[in-house]
Amino acid sequence: MQDTDDFRVKRINQMLLEMAKGNFFYSLEPSDKNDNLASLMVMINMVKEEIQASFIHQGFVSTDRTPQFLIQMSLIIDENGIVEMANQKACGILLRMRNAILGSPFTDLLTESSQKKWNKKMKTFLKRKHLDTSIKLSFKTKEGLLISKNCTVTNFRTLDGNSSKIIVNTVLFSNAEPDVKGLWKNAVEPGKESKRRKIRLSHGDIQKIRNVHDMILNNLESDPPHLKDLALQMGTNEFKLKYGFKELYGTTVFKFLIQERLRKAKTLIKYTSKSLKTIAHMVGFKSIPHFSRAFKEKYGRTPSSLRS
Amino acid sequence: MKKHHENKYAVYILTKNLIHIMYKRGEGIDLKVAQIVVRDRMMVQEGQAMPVLCDIRELRMVNKEARDFFAIEGSLLIKALAFWIAPPVTDTISEFYLSTQRTHIPTKSFSLKSEALDYLRTALLIAVMVWLIPL
Repeated sequence: MQDTDDFRVKRINQMLLEMAKGNFFYSLEPSDKNDNLASLMVMINMVKEEIQASFIHQGFVSTDRTPQFLIQMSLIIDENGIVEMANQKACGILLRMRNAILGSPFTDLLTESSQKKWNKKMKTFLKRKHLDTSIKLSFKTKEGLLISKNCTVTNFRTLDGNSSKIIVNTVLFSNAEPDVKGLWKNAVEPGKESKRRKIRLSHGDIQKIRNVHDMILNNLESDPPHLKDLALQMGTNEFKLKYGFKELYGTTVFKFLIQERLRKAKTLIKYTSKSLKTIAHMVGFKSIPHFSRAFKEKYGRTPSSLRS
Repeated sequence: MKKHHENKYAVYILTKNLIHIMYKRGEGIDLKVAQIVVRDRMMVQEGQAMPVLCDIRELRMVNKEARDFFAIEGSLLIKALAFWIAPPVTDTISEFYLSTQRTHIPTKSFSLKSEALDYLRTALLIAVMVWLIPL
């Protein structure tokens, strides 16, 4: 029944409606089928992920006012795996009545694979003395849409000391206006710093800065030209590039370059037997001490310590 | 000279000229899985960059974190990449990946294995020629 066209079209409609409302945390359950509808579902999921990323990304503040709202989802689960508490928002997100959640097994809210994962882990969660961990769970709404999220898991002993309980917590981003009064206060508003924005970026500017970003990514091993020349080459000016890049990617051009070089280097160190010198040169570092220093700064350990 | 490797998510066959990766049917690729797949590929290659034939016909989902990882770390030690697809689902996945991620590796998708192999051979030949011309 899950694979009938009618059923799948209904899910797609629900998913698109949620997206239109600004809720990008839902997704469609992937199916085994290989037909046009399945490919449309895959496409919607991927498009959603890209939009979601750009919302959470500071880059989207360029549209000036995109208040984002945090929605907290909290659940308390007892020793038998039964949900004891679920906040109102959690019920809303899961599109379920509170009564239907409370007193029912927590696993009823999860997809099959997450159920297995949870059942495997729950006992250890309860036993541990101090638990503060995270686990990726996929929740299923009543309508069958999925929410996959990293959840923080904490446990506590009840005051009478008789039993242990687990708190599952996660925070979702939404672009939809909250329907509860007072939530405005909790909205993620641009900080003071971003309010004092010095420049305004047009769509053309953003595109140019993205091109710089891509150019750096694709030419990591060679040193980019001086910022001023780079800006001229891309048809913008140094000032816009400098501040625009920071605004879009949250870091400076130079730091971004180093960060991406180090990412590649880390993978090469871990999974190949190439010498550190070769790797440093491969990813674009000219001096080995500089490479080691930058590496240690970012990952907290020296490149050679990854080998031993 | 054939080398074979297998993990939970994929099968790797290393031949003289290229590495062949076949994804198994599973729940989908997230960042953790992507890291394992790339790690094992690099181990099989033993540090040698080579063309890759990537059979994704059984894939049904690759999430954003995994896609981002494939485009950066996952593109290391690849000379040219051919996706072997089975339309429409994997066609959509590969097309989406190629239009959203700007990877600098020559990459193309094919429904036929023979065409994919031809492409890799040509891509490699062009690379060699570009390298030779300055000499």
